[in-house]
Amino acid sequence: MIHVYMKRSNNLRIRLRLSSQMLQYLIMIALICVMLFPFFWLVASSLKAPNELGAVPPIWWSAHPDISSYITVFQVVPFARALLNSTIVTVSSTVGILVTSIMAGYVFAKHNFRGKNFIFICVLATMMVPQFIMLIPLYRMMNAFNLTNSYPGLILPNLANGFGIFLMRQFIAGIPNDLLEAAQIDGASEWTILWRVVVPLLRPAAAALILFAFVFQWNNFLWPLSIVYSQDMSTVVLSLNGLRTYTSSITFTNIVMAGTAIGILPSVILTLWVQKYFIEGISITGIKG
Amino acid sequence: MAVPYSQLEWVGLHNYAILFQQATFRTALVNVFLYSLANLIIILPLALLLGMFLYQSTIRGKNTLRTVLFVPYMIPTVAVAIVWGYLYEPQYGPLNQILGWLHIPPQNWLGSVNEAMLSLVILNVWQTLGYYVVMVVAGLTEIPQEYYEAASIDGASWFQQQLYVTLPLLNRSLAFVFVILTINTLQIFDPVYVLTQGSPVNSTDVVAYQMYVTAFNYGQAGLASAMAMVLLAVVLFLSLLQLRLFRTI
Repeated sequence: MIHVYMKRSNNLRIRLRLSSQMLQYLIMIALICVMLFPFFWLVASSLKAPNELGAVPPIWWSAHPDISSYITVFQVVPFARALLNSTIVTVSSTVGILVTSIMAGYVFAKHNFRGKNFIFICVLATMMVPQFIMLIPLYRMMNAFNLTNSYPGLILPNLANGFGIFLMRQFIAGIPNDLLEAAQIDGASEWTILWRVVVPLLRPAAAALILFAFVFQWNNFLWPLSIVYSQDMSTVVLSLNGLRTYTSSITFTNIVMAGTAIGILPSVILTLWVQKYFIEGISITGIKG
Repeated sequence: MAVPYSQLEWVGLHNYAILFQQATFRTALVNVFLYSLANLIIILPLALLLGMFLYQSTIRGKNTLRTVLFVPYMIPTVAVAIVWGYLYEPQYGPLNQILGWLHIPPQNWLGSVNEAMLSLVILNVWQTLGYYVVMVVAGLTEIPQEYYEAASIDGASWFQQQLYVTLPLLNRSLAFVFVILTINTLQIFDPVYVLTQGSPVNSTDVVAYQMYVTAFNYGQAGLASAMAMVLLAVVLFLSLLQLRLFRTI
């Protein structure tokens, strides 16, 4: 009797657990669908023909998917030039941020001098200052140097940032001093210690920083919008904005969507490829800091 | 905007006096505050629930969910705004069609005085939720597993464990989410610039957008700088207030 009772309660528990798992799967699949829908709509629309774009009610998937909009987008705006500009600006500022962050982070982590803490707090404080606060002074500065509408104007203000220095300091502080002293005894200079001993140990942190810097620069809108005034200096994000106003009719939406799909591709690929590092970066700076 | 320094005049607090007489600036301040508040009300509980779901659930494929939540945060906001502008399109967009299946009348979304701001909030929730979920998960991993074991030996139910173990120990992470969320949302610019330009009837006019237009379209750098300073003061005041509140809880 007791045996039968226990068996029944076990069955019930298994069934409960199964239905709870089913519920969790349902929630997960629903959320994934909601999150992916805008991406689906983006790609689906870029493949539609003009008459399908104007259909009411909307058509979800083209009867004859057509990739010609991905070629047209390069003809209606200088999109190839924008891709080149974005690549130049993004790569240079990412390299700049990496070098300055490693060097400053090393000094803050492993050296002592008067006023160090005060300077470090100043660096941290720059993280709290929103981008829009610096917009007008920076613009005036670049204008005074005659650097508006140029690569240096786009790159210079982004060659160093507080977040990168902070991230690198946190990582370098974790490297044992014995290792650095051993190198010193072997006659290595500061420069050699930094690039031959410290940097090779920084790979995960450097990966996180490269990706944050890359994505931030690639996605940046406010600064290029303020400083660029000719089409040949446009970044990808600026071109997308221009494309949208240029092709205001619904029948050109496939071109806008094709441009947008190309424009988000680098960020999406990078995120999928190394999202582990992004998430580590957020955890380290956000919670343990 | 690019008036040489030699021609600039010292005006004291004159720009601030002008600013607070402008009804449009007060509207922009109220709008951005409401936008921020709406984001907090929606994102905070969602991020907490999803973070707990991702951390505690044993089902397979939850990493896919985490990735899918996180990707929108990493793509340009301008691109997100362009796609959502199309989704919201009253006639040709799919959202009104989906509402139709549920027998809900079509909405005017970005074209409506009452719905435009909410439409921008939904866009932001979709784009940034994953980032805050990741921060919550990071906070959850810091809570020692022994606390849950001790609680369950003492007979605490799952719900009680969340209420008396998870929430108090997650305090620091939640405070962080709260502050970052406030700072980020008070600065909203890209979607407003791309989608609404403050319309309809100033209903989506926000401080950062007004500042940009004042500086670069009207060339009044002084007035625009005063706007930036007011917004900075609001951001700093709210962040410090929130940090204070969370410490006393």
